[in-house]
Amino acid sequence: MMRSLSVKYSPLLTRVRSRGRALSTQPTSSSLGCLPTTDSPVVSKLAFFNSVTGDGSKIPSYRVLDGSGIPIEGAEVPEACISEQFARRLYENMQLLPTLDNILYNVQRQGKISFYYGEEAAVIGSAAALADDDEVLAQYREVGVLLWRGFTLDRVMAQCFGNHEDSGKGRQMPVHFGSKQHHFHQISSPLATQIPQAAGVGYALKRDPERRSKNVACVFFGEGAASEGDFHAGMLLASTLPSPTLFLARNNGFAISTPSSQQYYGDSLSARGPGYGVDTVRVDGNDVLAVMSAVKEGRRRCLEGGRGVLVEIMTYRVGHHSTSDDSFAYRGRQEVENRKKIDNPITRFRLFMESRGWWNGTEEEELKSRLKQDVLAAFKRAETLKKPNLTELFSDVYSEEPWNIREQREELAGLLQKYGQVWEPWRNELKIFEDEGKKLSD
Amino acid sequence: MLVRRLRSTLLTLSRRWQTTASNTAIESPSASGHSSSVASSQLFRITRESALRTPGISWQDEESDRNIVGGRETRKMNLYQAVRDALSIALAKDDSAVVFGEDIAFGGVFRCTMGLAEEFGRERVFNTPLTEQGIAGFGIGLASMGHTAIAEIQFADYIFPAFDQLVNEAAKFRYRSGGHFSIGGLTVRAPTMAVGHGGLYHSQSPEGFFMGASGLKVVIPRSPIQCKGLLLSAIRDPNPVIFMEPKILYRSAVEQVPIDDFALPLSRAEILIPGSDLTLLTWGTPVYHCEYALRLLNSPPPSLAPLIPPSLRSAKVELIDLRTILPWDIETVVESVRRTKRLVIVHEAGMTGGVGGEIAAEVGKRAFLRLEAPVRRITGWDVPAGLQFEKFNMPDAVRILDGIMETLSY
Repeated sequence: MMRSLSVKYSPLLTRVRSRGRALSTQPTSSSLGCLPTTDSPVVSKLAFFNSVTGDGSKIPSYRVLDGSGIPIEGAEVPEACISEQFARRLYENMQLLPTLDNILYNVQRQGKISFYYGEEAAVIGSAAALADDDEVLAQYREVGVLLWRGFTLDRVMAQCFGNHEDSGKGRQMPVHFGSKQHHFHQISSPLATQIPQAAGVGYALKRDPERRSKNVACVFFGEGAASEGDFHAGMLLASTLPSPTLFLARNNGFAISTPSSQQYYGDSLSARGPGYGVDTVRVDGNDVLAVMSAVKEGRRRCLEGGRGVLVEIMTYRVGHHSTSDDSFAYRGRQEVENRKKIDNPITRFRLFMESRGWWNGTEEEELKSRLKQDVLAAFKRAETLKKPNLTELFSDVYSEEPWNIREQREELAGLLQKYGQVWEPWRNELKIFEDEGKKLSD
Repeated sequence: MLVRRLRSTLLTLSRRWQTTASNTAIESPSASGHSSSVASSQLFRITRESALRTPGISWQDEESDRNIVGGRETRKMNLYQAVRDALSIALAKDDSAVVFGEDIAFGGVFRCTMGLAEEFGRERVFNTPLTEQGIAGFGIGLASMGHTAIAEIQFADYIFPAFDQLVNEAAKFRYRSGGHFSIGGLTVRAPTMAVGHGGLYHSQSPEGFFMGASGLKVVIPRSPIQCKGLLLSAIRDPNPVIFMEPKILYRSAVEQVPIDDFALPLSRAEILIPGSDLTLLTWGTPVYHCEYALRLLNSPPPSLAPLIPPSLRSAKVELIDLRTILPWDIETVVESVRRTKRLVIVHEAGMTGGVGGEIAAEVGKRAFLRLEAPVRRITGWDVPAGLQFEKFNMPDAVRILDGIMETLSY
């Protein structure tokens, strides 16, 4: 074997041979040197490896609070960033998510909006660790980031109802949010497409003298989306170019009906990080303090190194995938009920706050009731608003209007003029738009 | 002739259906657009007799010498049940057949694979990780070994990561190897077209993107019987086939479907309603809007009557379902246009780069001197499928009616 190797990699190894050392007496890897132009030490024992941790154990998960909200042994509660006021802000935002979920799920069932996705408390901890102007590219369960940054319920409802207040002009399905003001990039349905884009966003930040060393690009995605080729592309670019991109992987155990045991075989997503040479950590996603600490540190490393960092946030999807799904078709009810009881991120944090004397039962009731009222009020208001002008069907395809789109717009205008008032389905449909279709030929 | 007999038979049975099986003026339906065309359609074969007489049916079982039509059974199925039935037959008869994709095992997000994993086992009916490029590549690999690979892409809108595999690999597989390697066993199924609330990414019709990928076949069924027969043909065809199922029809299209193994021919269009004054060519969901448009033309409701010249109302329009988009049945289409001298093509996909342009060019070349009007395309606009605007984006019965009248009076 040595001879054939020496033919291929002659310079170094023939030197070794010529010093007369026999193969069988090579005790340590360092004495064999490295492969040329690499730091890869040569060894004489054929040994396969299959573990990131070196001893075959699972990558550990970082946690601060236990199931009852008590800091676990050795844990450091991030005192510097947990004041009572901050804790309340965290808790309120976390509590808002299921309030929003419950109401919008029911609204969808009543046919008032077409679709809805449930959200995750893990996201609030992440949001709290980012700078408000870090660029966020999300998948679809991260409205928590927007809420943390001050996106109003009115705007949430506007997008879900696709009414004329929606900055997206009624074009996308519900929960496809976007807000330039909040540095939250527009969500699209295809999975993982945002991941390589985030690497590009990070690079732009790095290139911009105003924002370099101040901001990172932060991309959220699920463990299912991480199976897409785009995940590989994004990780490669952020690690290799490099670009300051923070990869926040929400591992909630399901991609619609597919459990994570059918999504990957390795030690989930954390094991992939070192494959790209990026700093990686796994964290208990139902512990908001742990998430916050981990993301904060991840962000710091990302900024300092200018390179990708991976944080895998472990949680459990207690809700259905979306309003189009009935998850009891593929998992037992008891499993879900158990998780809700024993590993509820909101409960854990509430117990922590109560242990500090920062929260009590009365405040809990008051908060829940107030949030419910706020959500209901926003929903009722949004429901009554008209949809955008019908002209928005044709605008924004390009920055200017080419001949084909102009002609098509004029064609529709002509058709509406001819049939719009006499054909009942059209007449009724036109009423929902602010301009009632009358501005098409402008 | 057959269709007229069908219609009169249906008249007596039509009380089961919501509306409009009469030949008196059509009342305008209560809103909700798309599915009302489907709900009021008379094109579905809802009796056993009519189902067994589906044109072009070719029985694939050993008893195909049993041509006593009365001997075969049918069962009421919607489109996703017809898909499931076809897959079940393919799996039962072909040991090498496997069905795979995202969320397949529990039954699929549209229920097309319900019970198949239980019946045929998880080695043959299984979930893949979330990767369309992987699904396509994996399917190609399986098929290259002579196995039957039936892949599912969850929505046609998500077929694009697989585009490289499909266009660069699948389409060119036979050609680049001098005919020594081939992947006929590959079929890729995907739900397609608008559904009423799909927005940009659950409504697309990407068949046009594949027109340039010679080596691939593209098939789009309009009904449960068509779906079962065409899918079985697609699975068994010695070329890779992309099979796009209009998702709005999964539940709303219902027929009596023969339960036996049967095939319907690929690359053969079907004349649904014979005519002489204009050829109306389409595929998938718009078949029903076209049908509705013809009823509006022939018996306009009072609201539309003033806009429909009496001279046009007796026009006999020939309605053709293209069925296979690539390679398409140029013979049937050109023969029809030579007779009628006018062609209107309808598809949901946008005008630019849509299949209609390709057909119009070929027909223009072959029937140029016969044509009495330019070939008219009625399509989705060249814009993404905005959610709130869908009803004015996808071509509906009134837009089609208007295009027909314009072409008739050119």
